[in-house]
Amino acid sequence: MIIEKLFNKWILFLLIIIPIFGLIFEEPYYITLTTKVIILAIAGIGLNLALGYCGLISFGHAAFFGTGGYVTGILSFHALNEELLFSWPIDIFGSSEMLIIWPVAILVCAFLSLIIGFLSLRTSGVYFIMITLAFAQMLYFFSISWPTYGGEDGLSIYVRNSFPMVNTMDPFTFYFICLVWLMITLFISFKLINSAFGMAFQAIKQNEERVKSVGIETYKVKLIVFVISGTMAGLAGSLYTDLNRFVSPSVLDWHTSGEIMIFVILGGMARLYGPIVGAAFFIILEQTLGTYTENWQFWLGLILILEILYARSGILGLFDKKKNNEK
Amino acid sequence: MIRKKIMKNKILNIKNLSKSYGAFKVTDQIAIDLNFNEIHALIGPNGAGKSTLIKQIVGSVKQDRGSILLDQEDITDLSDVERAKIGISRTFQVSSIIPSFSAIENIILSLLNKSNKTFQLFKNIKDNNELELKAKNILREIELIENSGMVASELSHGDRRKLEVGLALAMNPKVFLFDEPMAGLDESGTQMMINLFKKIKLNTPILLIEHDMEAVFALADRVSVINYGKIVATGTVDQIRSNELVKDVYLGYEI
Repeated sequence: MIIEKLFNKWILFLLIIIPIFGLIFEEPYYITLTTKVIILAIAGIGLNLALGYCGLISFGHAAFFGTGGYVTGILSFHALNEELLFSWPIDIFGSSEMLIIWPVAILVCAFLSLIIGFLSLRTSGVYFIMITLAFAQMLYFFSISWPTYGGEDGLSIYVRNSFPMVNTMDPFTFYFICLVWLMITLFISFKLINSAFGMAFQAIKQNEERVKSVGIETYKVKLIVFVISGTMAGLAGSLYTDLNRFVSPSVLDWHTSGEIMIFVILGGMARLYGPIVGAAFFIILEQTLGTYTENWQFWLGLILILEILYARSGILGLFDKKKNNEK
Repeated sequence: MIRKKIMKNKILNIKNLSKSYGAFKVTDQIAIDLNFNEIHALIGPNGAGKSTLIKQIVGSVKQDRGSILLDQEDITDLSDVERAKIGISRTFQVSSIIPSFSAIENIILSLLNKSNKTFQLFKNIKDNNELELKAKNILREIELIENSGMVASELSHGDRRKLEVGLALAMNPKVFLFDEPMAGLDESGTQMMINLFKKIKLNTPILLIEHDMEAVFALADRVSVINYGKIVATGTVDQIRSNELVKDVYLGYEI
C-alpha cells in the first residue's frame, strides 16, 4: 500500500516535471504528449468509477467521450462561421469560450448518460456490454452521416477555444488547464469512493443481491455512478477536441471505448490512480514501440494477456503486495 | 372482538401463496403468519419449498397467486428493494456478505438505508461516528467485536454466519426471515444464536427456517411443517412433535 502511494506521487510528479522540462528545453512535443495522457486519464478516471468500482462493464464510453468532443467542435464551428446553432425557440449562438463550452458539454453528456444508463442498466452482464456498445455505435454512424459537421472527414476548428486572460494556444497553458481538470476529477473520485454512496456502489460490484436486501436502491445508485462516469468521459472528450483542434467520428468509434477500457485495466481497476498509469503506459508504448513497428498494438495485446494471467490488479497492483493476487 | 385482536397481532400475513415452474409446484397455496413477539419456525425436508417461500416473501421471486400483508399493508406488488426498505430483513442460506469489506463496514452498509445516508455522495463515511457506534453495538451483540476490522472474506465460517445475522439486525426491520442461520455453527455459536434470537423476538418477530431441531424446539413458539410446497401442519412444538402426519414427512427421522 505504501509503495503504491509513493508510486502515485511519482506519477503526479512526472506529469508535472515532464512538461516543465519541455518548456525549459523548448520541446513542446512533450508538453502536448503529457496533455494527451492527462486527457485520456480523465476519461479513464470516469470509466473507472463505473467499471472498476461499480462493476458496470460499459463498452460504450466513446459515446460520451465523442459527444463531449462534438459538442465542443460544433459550438466553436458555429462561433467561427457566425452561424446560429439553433434559431428555434430562441436564437442560440455557437461559442469559442471554454467557460461556456465546458458546462454545455457536461450537461449534454450528463443527459446522454442518463438516457443510456436509464435504458442499459435494466440489463446486466453481457447484455449490458452489448447495449452500451450499441448506443455508442448508433452515435458513431450518426456522426458519419451528418455532412454539416464534416461527416466522415471530421470537423476542424482551427483555433483552440479561449479561456479568459490566458493564451490557450500556448501548449503549456493548455496543459495546465487540463492538469487542473485532472485534479478535479481525481478529487471527485476520491470523495465519492470514500463516501457512504461509494460504499454502496463498491458493494454492488461484489454482491448486488445483498445490497438490494439491505434496502438500497441499486438501480438508482448505478444510474448516478453511470452519469458521473459518462460526464467525466464527456469532459475529457471536450478537452481532446481542443487539444487536436479537430474532431472526427473516430472518437465515437468502439475502438475509443476499448482504449479507455484498456487504460483502466492496464493501470489497475478500482485504483484511484490506475487510469493515469494506464493512459501513460499506453502512450509510452505507442510512442516507443510505434517508432519500430506499425503493429505495436500486437505487443500491447501481449502485455494485456500477461496482465490478465499474472497481474490482474494492473500495474499499480504490482506495487501492492497484499492485493496482488486477489480476484 | 377477539378475532379482531388476533388479526391486529399479525405482523406478517401470507395467504394462498403459490408458485410453479411448469407443472412443478414449488409453493402451493401457502398460508402462514407471524405474530408480534413470536418465533415461527418453518421446517421440512430439503426441496420442500422453504427457501422459495423466503424468496417470495422478500420479493426476489414473483408469486403466481396469493398475497402478502406486512403490518396490514399489502406488499404483494412491491419490488424486493421496496420490501427491504419498509421492513423485511433476511439472511441468506449461504453467507452472502461483501467479501472485501471488513465486518464493521458490512454492518455500516446495512445501516445506510435506515439512516438515509445512501445518497451522501461526498462526505467521508469514516467520519461518521454515529454509524460506527451503532455498528459496534451490533457487533457486540453478535459477539464479533474482536474481529470488527477483519476483512469479511477472511472470517471463519461461524463468524460469517454471525455477520449475516448482524446485517439483518442492522436494518432494524419489522420482521426477520432467517434462512438456516445456525447451519454449520459449533455448539457455542448455536447457543449464542439461541440467546440472541430470544432477545430479538421481544421486539421483532422471526420467521425461522432451521434444520437444527434442538434449536427449533428451544426457540419456536409455533412450528409449521412444509412438504412438497404445502404447509402440512402448524402448531406448538408439542403439537407438532405428536402429529402423525409430520412423522410421515420426516419418515425415519427422530424429531
